[in-house]
Amino acid sequence: MLYEYEIDYDTQNSYEKGLSEAFWQFLVIPEDNDTQEVSYWHFENDLGERNSVSENGLGFKTVQVRSKREIDHITFNAHFKLTKKEINPFDFELPLDLADELRILDSLDFKVDHEPYLRKTRLTSLPEKHANIFLFDRSKSIFENLVDLNHWVFIQLYFKTGVTDVDTPLEEIIEKRHGVCQDFTHLFCAIAKQNGVPCRYVSGYLHQGIGFFGDSQMHAWAEAFVPNVGWIGFDPTNNLLANHNHIKVCHGKDYTDCAPLKGVVYTLGGNETKYSVLVKAAEQQQQ
Amino acid sequence: MGANTNKTIFSSYVRKDGLFDEVFGNDGNVKSVYKKLLDLYGSRSIENYVTLNNKAKSSFFNQGITFQVYGDKQSQEKIFPFDLFPRIIDPKEWDVIEKGAIQRSLALNHFLWDVYHDKKIVKDKIVPIELLSSSPNYLHQMMDVDPPSKIYNHISGTDIIKHADGNYYVLEDNIRCPSGVSYVICNRTALKRALFGVFNHYKTYTVTDYAENLLNLLESVKPPGVDSPVCVVITPGMFNSAYYEHSYLAKAMGVELVEGRDLFVENDFVYMKTTQGPVRVDVVYRRIDDLFIDPMEFNPDSSLGVPGLFAAYRKGNVTLANAPGTGVADDKAIYTYVPDIIKYYLNEEPILKNVHTYHCSRPDELQYVLDHVAELVVKPVDEAGGYGISIGNKLTKAEIEEVKIKVKANPRKFVAQPIMSLSVHPTYIDQNESFEQRHVDLRTFTVLGQDKQFVLKGGLTRVALKEGNLIVNSSQGGGSKDTWVLKQ
Repeated sequence: MLYEYEIDYDTQNSYEKGLSEAFWQFLVIPEDNDTQEVSYWHFENDLGERNSVSENGLGFKTVQVRSKREIDHITFNAHFKLTKKEINPFDFELPLDLADELRILDSLDFKVDHEPYLRKTRLTSLPEKHANIFLFDRSKSIFENLVDLNHWVFIQLYFKTGVTDVDTPLEEIIEKRHGVCQDFTHLFCAIAKQNGVPCRYVSGYLHQGIGFFGDSQMHAWAEAFVPNVGWIGFDPTNNLLANHNHIKVCHGKDYTDCAPLKGVVYTLGGNETKYSVLVKAAEQQQQ
Repeated sequence: MGANTNKTIFSSYVRKDGLFDEVFGNDGNVKSVYKKLLDLYGSRSIENYVTLNNKAKSSFFNQGITFQVYGDKQSQEKIFPFDLFPRIIDPKEWDVIEKGAIQRSLALNHFLWDVYHDKKIVKDKIVPIELLSSSPNYLHQMMDVDPPSKIYNHISGTDIIKHADGNYYVLEDNIRCPSGVSYVICNRTALKRALFGVFNHYKTYTVTDYAENLLNLLESVKPPGVDSPVCVVITPGMFNSAYYEHSYLAKAMGVELVEGRDLFVENDFVYMKTTQGPVRVDVVYRRIDDLFIDPMEFNPDSSLGVPGLFAAYRKGNVTLANAPGTGVADDKAIYTYVPDIIKYYLNEEPILKNVHTYHCSRPDELQYVLDHVAELVVKPVDEAGGYGISIGNKLTKAEIEEVKIKVKANPRKFVAQPIMSLSVHPTYIDQNESFEQRHVDLRTFTVLGQDKQFVLKGGLTRVALKEGNLIVNSSQGGGSKDTWVLKQ
């Protein structure tokens, strides 16, 4: 099965006192990988400032826009078309060799090779007092443990918008038990790393079900590395394994590596940013 | 010059037992390299010396050769305390220092390449992985990035001391943005003005060729495909403690001194704003810390950096010197492993010795440190400028307990070393109007370029001006001396 999607990403920025110079960087273009292929993308702004395509420090495509005029607002629109393959998250042989998995996880070479995603960042470190909040069951496979963790995070936190922001520490999220997809994902990553499993934060788009039309935000989920298998996507906000509805843009150690929009603006007043995302499924094709 | 008294410059100089004096031997005789200097000036009066020294100092102030101390309430500019009596290094001893400094810089460069590529030294269990994974200066964005000519630490500042046993030891490697070289050159200029005749008697290597060598090196590591590169020095701005040096080096190299807002990036190329329009920049000698160079990639609140600079670097369109991510190798916890790092990559014995270091991250060593705080120097691993260092025999009981609490709370953040007796050098002390023994160290400057290495023949001799003090950093009230390396 192939799924076709069209995505619109729009953001409107207005600046109270105007600005004299600015630099924006967008990390919103879906990546090309084994399961998805971008066939078309277009990026524009209403002031006609030039876009340049670059890459961030982890190799994901970015669009940079620089303005050196006096302006008080700017609107960006991005439009993508892509095809996504069916993903079978169980595409490996069971049962996995438990002893071998643990041996690999504990080996120095593995720890060295996966150091970037075993490292705890400010947003993915469990507070000391919650260090044992979820311990892996060593009699189960890593994959089963991760599925359990995915479910546990889904149950543990209540989805609630407007109560957390990108800087909310895990301690608060664990104790107040609420948050949005970023918080679910940070908690999942923190616990996986605490248990020695490499885990990365993924930013992307979620198509909210076949035939579903509607606004949504950018989504976040996690990818954990299962020995002898590879990276597998887990969406703890929805208690799902990542599937053909998850359109990946990039990954990183946590949200800070994946922020969809970063900018430096020279202005004296406040600013306001609104953004919207629309993911549409086109007709499905039989392969 | 005023009326001469009978008090000559060393008439009230007291040599303490157990200290290694650079000028006088244990028998009180002048060491050979200083002999001529004392023959020439030893019978002069202290007043003569003071007159000259004050002239040199006011010349520093008038030229604006100053620095600032962070955290000072008044935060005013100070002149770097300077002392006309030079330090002289024998050619044979210098040979060891120079070879040792190059060896260290090359080995650390290999280490940086390795930790950002195959990480063999960690897989071979020479360096523990924890040192990388707990270092905020280990930048994942540098993974598999190949810097031009494979050079990371273009400029290294190696801090060396002479111990009471007469051997040189390395105290610290500084390979982020080491500073101090401008003082080396200014000290020499001041000394030449004040004692112009003395160089007729000493064949001393010049230090004023540093800027020329640095420019040469920066040009040698230009991005591929560029013929005559445009180099700039980027500074955090006039409030940085080393701003004088940034402006000096730019001027001496004949390149532009820029701040972040003077540059911009478009299509992964870096441009400088000029009155004649944008000019492409190929090599940036950056004196801004890694985490502040590009708000798109690192600290998003940085207004010092250039948005998009790192992407341009990663693409190979601009060279940054030093490369981002070098901080992982000058972490004071990595320091302990430098002898092993030298053996591993170069298959050589270290030419310069290390001071024994205890890692508080290791439980047994932590216990030793906690039990012996009074006999040790305890240092935070990631601070520069002598901040946060405690020297055991100078602490009160209450202060010792404070140190213990700090170390226990975050063992990884601290290392400890035995209190080394740094050599002493006769230094003029204003308050006492006489020469006294003061501890000194030596910061050497090593420059690595495409197939070439250069060690500045001289260096910054830093003096701890308080009696008995072992911390020589200018931010901690240290002074400096001109340093002569003699020709064979």
